[in-house]
Amino acid sequence: MVMDFLKTCCADPMKLIGEWFVVLPALVLLLAAAAAVVMRNLIHAALLLTLSFIALGIVFIALGAEFVGFVQLLVYVGAVAMVIVFAILLTNPDQLTKSRNLLSGFAPAAGVAVAFAALAALLGFIFSSPLAKKPLPAPASAPVAAIGEALMGDYVIALIVLGILLTAALVGAAVIAMEDKP
Amino acid sequence: MTLQILLAISAILFTFGLAAALSRSNAIMILIGIELMLGAANLNFIAFWRFSENPADLAGILFAIFSIGVAAAEAAVGLAIIILVHRRIKSVEVDDASNLKG
Repeated sequence: MVMDFLKTCCADPMKLIGEWFVVLPALVLLLAAAAAVVMRNLIHAALLLTLSFIALGIVFIALGAEFVGFVQLLVYVGAVAMVIVFAILLTNPDQLTKSRNLLSGFAPAAGVAVAFAALAALLGFIFSSPLAKKPLPAPASAPVAAIGEALMGDYVIALIVLGILLTAALVGAAVIAMEDKP
Repeated sequence: MTLQILLAISAILFTFGLAAALSRSNAIMILIGIELMLGAANLNFIAFWRFSENPADLAGILFAIFSIGVAAAEAAVGLAIIILVHRRIKSVEVDDASNLKG
């Protein structure tokens, strides 16, 4: 299997580079996500989460979904990561290290065991599925014009509903987090 | 590259998120785990679109875009709730927010 991989790589250097553009950010993504999950310090966890979001955006771009990749970078890195950092700073930073960690006690260990049981099941299904052995089709791309036409055409109702949801969520978040009147 | 590799990466990412959401007691860490799981789902959408017979059908792309939008709304509301809980009980540990516990 390794020899096959090397053979295809050496025969087609561009293909190798194209694949590494996906595989390397994916490795960064997994390492950063794993580190974020086990970090005790919340600020470190938030920064590693941001790194994993950036790597995920690069994976999207390398797979040909440029628009989704840039939306991922703008929304997650620009907005969600900021909001998480603000929440960490607004809540009590003195308690940062008192948090229960992975594998400290029965309940967290059981949670990790459940997660890895789910991983085993998922990987079993993925590697036994005939669909998953499909080779990579010809490079695809999603032109932004086509995405815009689809958003304003077939998916316009979903777009409007998403707009209403975001408005309601922002108003709701502001109301929830507002100071109680004395 | 086959579809398997991308699906396996996505499954591992989902596992990290699930482990964080189930095991960490800090509400912000639980939210970080949920974000990781949503990212894994988006990676699956993009992978299936990339390997589809008909890439001109943009359903996978659009599903990922809408999913990112919903995740943004979820993060805003979740963190507002965390700030409110912190103001009430002076803690963001979910173990401390047990007033309704039977």
